[in-house]
Parts: sequence; C-alpha cells; structure tokens
Amino acid sequence: MTTITIDPLTRIEGHLRITAEVDERGIVKSARSSGTLFRGIERIAQGRDPRDMARIASRICGVCPTCHSIASVSAQDDLFGVASSVPRDALVMRNILQGLNWVASHATHIYVLFAPDLANPGYRKVLESRNLGSVWKELAGRFAPISYAIEGQPVPPGSSYLAAIPARRKLHEAMAVLGGKMPDQMAAIVGGVTYRPTAADITKVASYWIDTAGFVNDYVLPGSKGVDLDTWLSLTHDGVSPEKAVENLLGYMGGLSLNDLSREAGWSDAVLFAAFGSELVGEKLLSLPASLKLDRLGGYGDASKIGFLSYGVFYNAEKDGFDPTSPAGERFLSSGFTSGDLKREAFDHMKVTEHVAHSFYTSGSDLHPWDGATEPVKAGSDIGFEGDKYSWLKAARYRGIPSEVGPLARMINNKEPLVMGLAAAFAKNGYSPANVYTRMLARMQETLIVARELKKWVTEDLDPAGRYAVPTDLWMAKSGKGVGLWEGPRGALGHWLSTGGDSMIRNYQAVVPTTWNAGPRDGSSVPGPIEQALSGSAISAAGNALGADNANPVGILHVARSYDPCLACAVHTIDMNATQRSFLVVGGL
Amino acid sequence: MNTGLDNLDILELDRRTFLKAVGMLGASAFLGNYGTQIARALKVAETKVVWLNGAACTGCSMSFINSAHPDVVQAITELNVNIGYMETLSPQQGIFVDGAPAGTSELNSELKIEELVREGGYILVVEGAVPFGGSGRYLTIAGKPFKDILKQVAGKASAVVAMGACSSFGGVPSARSDIRKDTDYRGLLFTGTEKKGAFSELGIDKPVINLAGCPPNPEFGLITLGALILGKITPADLPDILDRYNRPTVFFPPDHTIHENCPRRGYYDKGQLDTEFSGEHCLRKLGCKGPYTHSDCATRRWNNALSMCTKAGSPCIGCMEPGFPDSFSPFYRESEGVGILLGADANTIAKVAIGAAAVGVGAHAVRRVMVSMKKHDAEPEKAEEAQE
Repeated sequence: MTTITIDPLTRIEGHLRITAEVDERGIVKSARSSGTLFRGIERIAQGRDPRDMARIASRICGVCPTCHSIASVSAQDDLFGVASSVPRDALVMRNILQGLNWVASHATHIYVLFAPDLANPGYRKVLESRNLGSVWKELAGRFAPISYAIEGQPVPPGSSYLAAIPARRKLHEAMAVLGGKMPDQMAAIVGGVTYRPTAADITKVASYWIDTAGFVNDYVLPGSKGVDLDTWLSLTHDGVSPEKAVENLLGYMGGLSLNDLSREAGWSDAVLFAAFGSELVGEKLLSLPASLKLDRLGGYGDASKIGFLSYGVFYNAEKDGFDPTSPAGERFLSSGFTSGDLKREAFDHMKVTEHVAHSFYTSGSDLHPWDGATEPVKAGSDIGFEGDKYSWLKAARYRGIPSEVGPLARMINNKEPLVMGLAAAFAKNGYSPANVYTRMLARMQETLIVARELKKWVTEDLDPAGRYAVPTDLWMAKSGKGVGLWEGPRGALGHWLSTGGDSMIRNYQAVVPTTWNAGPRDGSSVPGPIEQALSGSAISAAGNALGADNANPVGILHVARSYDPCLACAVHTIDMNATQRSFLVVGGL
Repeated sequence: MNTGLDNLDILELDRRTFLKAVGMLGASAFLGNYGTQIARALKVAETKVVWLNGAACTGCSMSFINSAHPDVVQAITELNVNIGYMETLSPQQGIFVDGAPAGTSELNSELKIEELVREGGYILVVEGAVPFGGSGRYLTIAGKPFKDILKQVAGKASAVVAMGACSSFGGVPSARSDIRKDTDYRGLLFTGTEKKGAFSELGIDKPVINLAGCPPNPEFGLITLGALILGKITPADLPDILDRYNRPTVFFPPDHTIHENCPRRGYYDKGQLDTEFSGEHCLRKLGCKGPYTHSDCATRRWNNALSMCTKAGSPCIGCMEPGFPDSFSPFYRESEGVGILLGADANTIAKVAIGAAAVGVGAHAVRRVMVSMKKHDAEPEKAEEAQE
C-alpha cells in the first residue's frame, strides 16, 4: 500500500486535502477528504442586523457569492414574513443574477478548473500509444492552462481556455449592470432587490446574452454544423425520452470523421469530451480506438450508501411570493432526493443532519442544523489529518445517507433526459451511473438549460415598469426564524437563521454544497461522497492504461475536481453553544 | 477570439518611445496616468508573480480575472505577466507519495514553490487573512500552517501586494465574534486599523501595498502589478504614493469619498432621499456609507466601468476601508452618530466625517473637516511611515 496525498488540491475554490491509500495496481482502496481552513463566519453573524448577512454571507465564497446572497435573503424574506409577497419582478431579477453567475461559475469550472487536467501528460502517452496523437493535439490545444510545461517544453494556454476567461468576465459584467458589481453583487436584499432595471439595462444584458450564446455555439457546441444551443436542447432535452436523447447524441457523433478532429469539423468541446471521455460511449458504442475512461472514475460502489439531493433553485416567478420550504415543483429546477438505486422521493429539509464525529469539533453529532451545537478544537496539536478527526468539514447526511449534490444530482432529480439516458446506459453495462463523465456532462447540460432560460427571463420577463421590493422594517425580524433553501452551482445550499427580541441574529447556519460532497466519515464511519467515489478509482491516466504513476495521480484529481469543490463555503461553519440557541425557544419546528 | 485589444495606441508605441515616456514619470504619476493603459509596461519586463491564498473566499482572484483592458488573458499571453504560481489557476497541486513530494515542479506545487523561492525576486500577492490561533493551524496547506508558508515565500519576494480586505486588514475572518481571539485572524501589516499584522508577528520586514476592497477592483491589481513589474515603484516611493493604511492614494484618495462622484449625488443635493429599496434617489437614509469611504469606485466604476454599488440602488457598505465589515455595520441603517462607526482608531477620517454629518452640517462641511484633517495629519503620517 502506498499513501498518496494531494495537498493543496488546487484549481478548486479553497483548501482541500485528499489522502488515498493505493494498492500496487494503482487502485484507490480508501480515501480521506479534509477541509484545511476554518474561518467561523456563522459566529461572526451573531449579534448583527440580519440584513447585513445578504452581504456578509456573499463573502462565504467569491466564486459563487450570488447563491449565498440569495439563500440568505430568502431566509430573511421568511424571517421578516414577506416571502409570500416578494414581487414577481424581484424574483425574476434574482433568477437572472443567479442564472448569470450560474453560467459563469460552470464555465469557470469546466474550462479553467477541470479541463486543464485533460491536457495532463499522462494522456499524451496513452493517446499516442493508440495512434490518437490527433486527439492529444486537440486536448492540449484547447484545454492547457496558463504557465504550463511538459517535460521542459512550454505548452501555450489552450484556445478554449483562453476564450472562456473573457466569456465568464462578460457574464460578470452583465451581472454588474443589474447588481452594481461582481463578485459580490449588491442587489439582492430582503423583500426583493435594490434596483429597478431600465429598458437600456435590459438591452445591455440581452446583448451580453448574445455574446454568451456565441461562445456556446462556437466552442461548446458545434454551432457551425447547425447544432446550436436550441438545436442541441431539442435533440437531447426537450420532450425526448432518455433513450432518444442518447441515441441523438450518438447519432451526431457517429457521423463525424476521425480524420479531422477540429471544432470546425463538428468536434466541438462538448462533442470531443462526450466521445473520447467515456469508455462505454467512445470505445464500445462509437468503436473509437481509445478513450480517457472517465466513466471508470469516481463512481459509487454501494448504492445503499449514497443518494442525490437537491433543494431546488430559480423561483418559478409566475406570481408574487415563493414557498421558503421549496416543495417539489416550486422551483425551475426542482427539489428532490433520489436514492443510490435511482428511486426518487420528495425533499424535506428536516431530514438534514450533520455529524462531527470525524471533524475538528468537540460537541454533539447527527443533529439538524437547527439543533446542532459545535465547538472547534482550540489547540494546534488537535488539528492533524492522521487521527480520528481529520477535517474542518462536518459530514452532512439526508435521512442518514451521504448525498451527492450539484449538477448531476439536480439533473437526476429533474429527470433530465440526456443525463438519465446516459446514467441508465452506464447502469445497464455495469458502470456506476454517477461517475466523472456523467458529472461533467450533467454540468454542461445544465449550463445550457439555464443559459436558454436566462434569455427568457431577460427578454420576456424582466419589466422596467415592475415592482422590485416590498417595504420591510427591522421590527419585523423580532424574535423570529427563517429558512432559505436554494442551490449554488455546486449544489444544495441552505441558510437558517433566528433572531432575538432586539431583531439581531441569535443563530446563523449555512449547510453548503461542499459540506455534502467533500465531508468526512459520519458517526457510523460511512465515508462521504468524494471519499466513496475515490475508492476503486485508478490513479493514473485512462484507467492506468500504461500502468500506475504515483507521481501523476490524475485519476484522483479528476474525481475530486469533478465535484467542483468549494471549500471556503464548506468550512465557514460553526454553530453556537446549545445554551445560546434560540430555535428551541422560538419553537414551531 | 476576441482578446479585447483596446489599447492599440499604447501597444503600437515603439519600445524606446514608450520607455522614455514611462521613464519620465514618477511612481505616483505613473499610477495615475497610466491607469489601465498598462499594456506596454507589462510587455517590456518579465517578473514572476506568486499568488498565495490564505483564509480567503477566492473573490479577489475572481475579481482579478475580471480585468478588462487589458484583460487578464491579454496580460498573460501577450504582455508577459508570468504567473509563477496561483492556486486557483496553476497546473500544479501538492503531490506527496508516502509523505515525500513526488514528480517535478511541472505538476507539483510543493516543488514549484521551492523552485520559485530558490530563485527569489518575485512579486508576492497575498489573498486572504492569516490565522495565528491554534498555532496557526486553522489554515494548513501541505500540512503546514499557512503562516509558515507565508514567512518562507515572503522572505524572498521583491515586493508584496495584499490583494483585498482580508490580507490588507483582516477582513471578514477577523470580524467581531466571540471566537475572534481563538482564530486570531490578521492582515499582513494591519488588523482593522491597528498596525498589528502577520508580518510583525513573523518578523518579516517588508513594505506591503494594500489593495483594499472586498473584493478590490481588478484594475487596482493589474495597474499595481504593472508598475511593480516595470520597477516604477520602489520602497523609497511608498511614502509618496500610499496613505496611512498603505493603500495607493490614486485608488483610495484621502481627500475624496465615493459620495462626491456618486451617480445619485444630484438627488442628495436636492434632498431627495429614498427610504425604500429599488428607488432612484439618494441612498443616505438606507445606510449608505459612500460619504465615509475613500475609493475611486464612483469614477473608475466596476466590471469594465459599467456600474457600481450605489448605481444599482445598493448603499455603499464601506468595503474599501480598514475595519470592514465591523466599522460599517449595520449596513442598512442610516449613520446617525459617531457611535455607530466607532472602531479602534479615533483618527479615521470616516469617523470625523460621520461626526460632522451627525450634527447636521452636511456634506460640504464634511469635506472641509476632511481637508483640515488631512493637513492636521500630515506630520504624524510621515512620522509613522518613517518608522517602517
């Protein structure tokens, strides 16, 4: 057995450490995931005016600040008693702010954080050994990161990588038009938003949308071959069965020539990834000579120990107001819980608990966020990664089950045809339906679905003559509580808060996506999702096709990065002492 | 691909002409005049940038890569900004096999950082605060307390830039809470307004340029890096170009506040003050801290000069100032008296300004107070910097 430690795992948000026990064949036997930073933002919330948290919660994460801000104001809408009356126009505006950040965040993850690993030197060797040097040329030519070199030879940044950075910047600019600036837009506020957009603003944002669609059609999708955003979704998403969605994708890819793998020839980034990323799709169904075998990575071995959880995101915004408990169907992407064997049930946030048995906290475990009590260890000697306690993340569980959150979980809970079709095909052929490949394709597919909806929100729903806030006053927050259930690009996000008689915050809790995905073992020593997904994964390129290389464990990197970890989110947490908590006093739950 | 080559005029200057033009400028004038047209400056020099992430949210990195003219891609690919290491973007990660660093610096960040430190002479950018609680183990990287890594890397840096509120002043992680003393988060030179930062604790004697803001405007970063790369800022220049909190005065003008150029200023002058959100008038009664915040947000604006907080109806929350967030919290209540903003330092302009406003003398009197304060402070400020 060899111990491979990745620390820091870069190209994510924040500070994550992965430790893997690897056997002599280069297969991970067990793994530990450790968050290595503690800030304590929930303690910082205590005693403050609850409205301040719209801005401070935004600072939990600079990559996905908008979801924290909106989760916080949703909880405040509940607290102030205005959730049922927030104007529809304000809900549309929040959707647009979130949607723009969504697409920017996914684009950042796909192109800037994840895809550079597709240009890992391990793949050059594998592909060239299979006479697929042309595929390597495309991967390195499109996805190489900055400041990159292989065996002393500088590799210039890839064309798609370079195009993605200004594309995500423009999405931030569109957000600034409506929200003042980005990161940390300023518009989301209890009762609505701070800004009523002008007709000129709407035109400007629509123009940015056209720029974004241009990037999607030129790089992500084979727009030049007639498969643009709308066409792609009509083939793989709109009213098609899962089987048909997969058949349409395979049909398109089967018609392409291997003699010219350029984007212009129809091998857009999504198509190149869809074909060569998967052993099943590429080698078995399309008869390609080799693949990256990402479908062999990051799966789950025991379906009874994993679920897929979504809280729901993007208000339906057909009328004023929203339901803070986010029942099924209440949001554009619905809430839901799907078990490891793909059985779906309704979501109930009261089934969320957090364990601290293996986390650097000293108090109670397996508690709902409203009942939790946690103290961080104080001595530096208690903060290490070899002992029983090994992470600043807690272990979040739904009905006691570790749950993956994020695009794959959302697409599963919303029965998205392409993702469900691929998942079924993998299951039928003995693969885990959840794997690095489906996780990335789900992120891509969701980006496209949200991007198209954004156009509707901006061009059809946003009203320059609309109402954008209902009046609120601090007394309305007196001795109350609120829950904000939302999603970040990375997955399910909940903010819970309560106030005292002075309307100031008594308790603030945020249970965030990466706590779900990257959390440690729970009270029963069941590993978290990333830990489970690492077990059984090959550490080196294409399923150790050319043997295991401990010094280049790209398999481990793929698995961890496929979840788009955001550690600043996950390790801001700390609860109050039980004696100080007021939820029990407030009652009602 | 559109790289936004909007600086063609300056790019097309021949090198000698450009260097001559730049050479005639002092550091202060350089920062002020060259602004975002830094392109040529970056093209003629190659200095590595090492970017460390402490207790951060990565918002400063995200803001930095929002740079528009030049955009960050242009800066890197065409203008030789050499990002030696940056956690968010680099190809490397820490790779250890049975505890020992494995492979080469092409993929292993541990080896890459060692290599960079061996070479020395890089510009160090620090994002995020530094914890001293728990023997510094509230943040570890590669198993080591962040403060130890900071000490190692800062020691060989030719210049240090604190990117954002957290590394400048402690920021959100150092905000008021009942465990603040346990986590003990600090900025590099300052914690809040107190000159009690990580560097003095670690025995690092290096000047730091504080690019405040939560996050800072991306232009602050590129302009400052450009000036440093070109050698336009030397330690001797710092007293002339930085304020008492080590912020470049060109971005954080001591005698101007956001209020003066606020797009809603006309409504203030007419006494039209909004009391509910999503209106179009002055945000003063909704808690705006623009009159007490020294930055060029209102003139430089954000995200390719498109907007700013108050334009979008959001009261300024003072994120450019030391002491953010506590000194400006609650964000959404009108600043009625000095008490609200009482921080650690009784000399901040913000508080004097608030005091003046509180007794109803209005914005013009506030301005007069600040101007007179500036004169009053001129001597002690020099003395303070002389001690560095």
